[in-house]
Amino acid sequence: MNALGLIQVGLILSCTTTIISSLHCNHLPLQQRKVVENSLQLLDKMGKKFPQQCLREKTSFRFPERVLKPRQKETVKAAIEEIFQHIFYIFSKNLTLAAWDGTALEQFQNGLYRQIEQLEACVIKKQSHYFWSKEVNRLKLKKYFKKIDCFLKDKQHNLCSWEISRAEMRKCLQLVDKVIRKLNN
Amino acid sequence: MRCRNGHTNLKIPQDIQVHVVNTNFTLRWNYTGNDANVTFSAEYRWFDDSEPNDMEWKKLPGCQNVTGTECDFSSAITKYYDTHYVRIRAERREEVSSWSSIFEMIPSLIAQIGPPGIQLQSTNGVIKIKVSPPEANQVQKMWIDQSSFRYNLVIWENASNAEFRSQSIFPTDVIDGLAPDTTYCLKVQATLPLDSQEGFFSPVRCVKTTRKVNDLLCATNVRVLALNMKFHLHWNNRYKQHVSYNVQYLIGYLKMLHDDYSAKWINVAGCENITDTQCNFSSIITTTGFYYLRVQAVNEYNKSCLSNEVKVDPLITNEIGPPDVTVDISDMLLHIQISPPGDRESEVMREHYDLSYRLLYWKNSSNNEEEVKTKEIKQTIATVSDLTSATLYCVKVQAFSEVYNKSSSYSKEKCIKTPGDKLLPLIILATFATALIVVCLVATLLVFVLYQAYNKIKYVFFPSCQPPLNIEGFGPQLFSSPYLSATEELVENCSVMEPVITEAVNQFDFKDYQHSKESSRDSGNYSNDDDTSESKASEETLVKEIV
Repeated sequence: MNALGLIQVGLILSCTTTIISSLHCNHLPLQQRKVVENSLQLLDKMGKKFPQQCLREKTSFRFPERVLKPRQKETVKAAIEEIFQHIFYIFSKNLTLAAWDGTALEQFQNGLYRQIEQLEACVIKKQSHYFWSKEVNRLKLKKYFKKIDCFLKDKQHNLCSWEISRAEMRKCLQLVDKVIRKLNN
Repeated sequence: MRCRNGHTNLKIPQDIQVHVVNTNFTLRWNYTGNDANVTFSAEYRWFDDSEPNDMEWKKLPGCQNVTGTECDFSSAITKYYDTHYVRIRAERREEVSSWSSIFEMIPSLIAQIGPPGIQLQSTNGVIKIKVSPPEANQVQKMWIDQSSFRYNLVIWENASNAEFRSQSIFPTDVIDGLAPDTTYCLKVQATLPLDSQEGFFSPVRCVKTTRKVNDLLCATNVRVLALNMKFHLHWNNRYKQHVSYNVQYLIGYLKMLHDDYSAKWINVAGCENITDTQCNFSSIITTTGFYYLRVQAVNEYNKSCLSNEVKVDPLITNEIGPPDVTVDISDMLLHIQISPPGDRESEVMREHYDLSYRLLYWKNSSNNEEEVKTKEIKQTIATVSDLTSATLYCVKVQAFSEVYNKSSSYSKEKCIKTPGDKLLPLIILATFATALIVVCLVATLLVFVLYQAYNKIKYVFFPSCQPPLNIEGFGPQLFSSPYLSATEELVENCSVMEPVITEAVNQFDFKDYQHSKESSRDSGNYSNDDDTSESKASEETLVKEIV
């Protein structure tokens, strides 16, 4: 099955499923904006200001921004879903040493997960997920989050590693926020 | 030193394939030549972003001197996101074949998801299932994020093999809707929707359901009623004796994790140890989260029963209540003021639902109601301008969220009447004033006419002219008697008298009587004139007298 055939299949699918998706996922853009806004607030709320002593341990993770600028709009949605999934995973690890506000953390996770669930439930998922699975930048995104995961493991999930990760996730969500606003305008 | 000759009779291995399940890497190939005493050895290299120069071919561990046509090289691969290259050749004693074509792969892209583990428990007519993820206890994982797995269950009755049902389940879940005392067979696969990946099914497991015991203690028909972000849980009680309830909630995402969440249910504040069959759980709700709720019923012997769980997605479960509307009229404009639904929650709802309002207004006349007009607005104030005067207008408003496809019921109707024409009183005033003026004029004219008539009548019937004293035979009786004959005589008498007096006067004073001369001359020539002038003179004296 060559690329042209795939594109043809994709086009047909996108034509038929675009209408269906709009019936089921109408509230998603508004909800996504709210979740990202809320998540950023909760990220700030769960801990204090970035500790000075952790500054020297700061590592550059280099988020692959190109993943949020693909050729297709539907792929961006799948990219956002994957980012939410990765962030959700990171914050489900052992957080005792971080000593953050448990309630804020729970609400943060809850909001993220609900959004992931809603994105999955959108009818158009099969098509956008298919294209996403073939996306070149997807691997870069996976590597980025794996790097953070390894960083946390190496530092045994200590306070500084958590604070650095939290700051990094904040940057990531802010990028997603910008993309979401652009998508829905 | 053994010579390795490139030109050899050994055939090159063909159709190289790599199969990956979780972190198990298997290399497979075909060999068409004579495979007696032939072994195979493979090499690999990978392209690492951080070390681009390290591109040397290395021996592939686990695939050295292999006799069959497949080998396991799992120990060699650790970078699952990097591109790897594999090649293989046949060897026999000193002979080696040429290298095969290079197989290029990115492990994570070709890896397949292995089967999950299942634990089953058959109780009370249902099957409790606990799924353990693929690579559950492995240190090195291909699928690091276990929380991203979505499990797909396929279940069928053992007896009738044909009909099976497929459903998605949580890692810890309960399968209900099953017939009691029946053997069911099931299998589960793990999927990764984002990777468009469906994993291998677990081995099939069969289990028999027990009889369902209908415990009356349990709360039934657990449901949520939510209006304007106030959430209430309702349930039914079938227990005859004393029972108290605890309402518990679970933060939604916990169900998605593989960890045991049974200890993570929290009692809802204010709904502990209650006897009422309802609970207000608004305090635990946030707009961005989702929750599960259940009711624990406890009887006096401390026996408890857990009800079914209800999922609450706040913005979707909630219903929007009707807004309030007030109307006002000024300058032929209808002003409509909408107060949004909910009191303290109104701002939250407006923001999260992106609320708009649908305005319905119509003329309420005594005959059949006229066409209803609609207006959709985002703000809480509206003005309607195309109004007719002195008409009763009625308004009702509904709040709706287009994105959530939700609308409230309509508010109460409010009616208001438009004022009458401003011009009418002015017209009335003008008409009145004009009429007044006209009446005054007519009255004045009438009075004047009457006065004139009165004068005439008085002149005719009651003259004031007195005859001179030297007229004999006349006297007062003559003037007092009526009418016709007397008048003639009067005139004649007066005219007779005149010439005599004139002549007499002429003798004494020439100047004084010039006028009278002229007049007498006139009177001489024109007897009529005489009469008229005389009568005029008498009239003047008459008038003077009257005056």
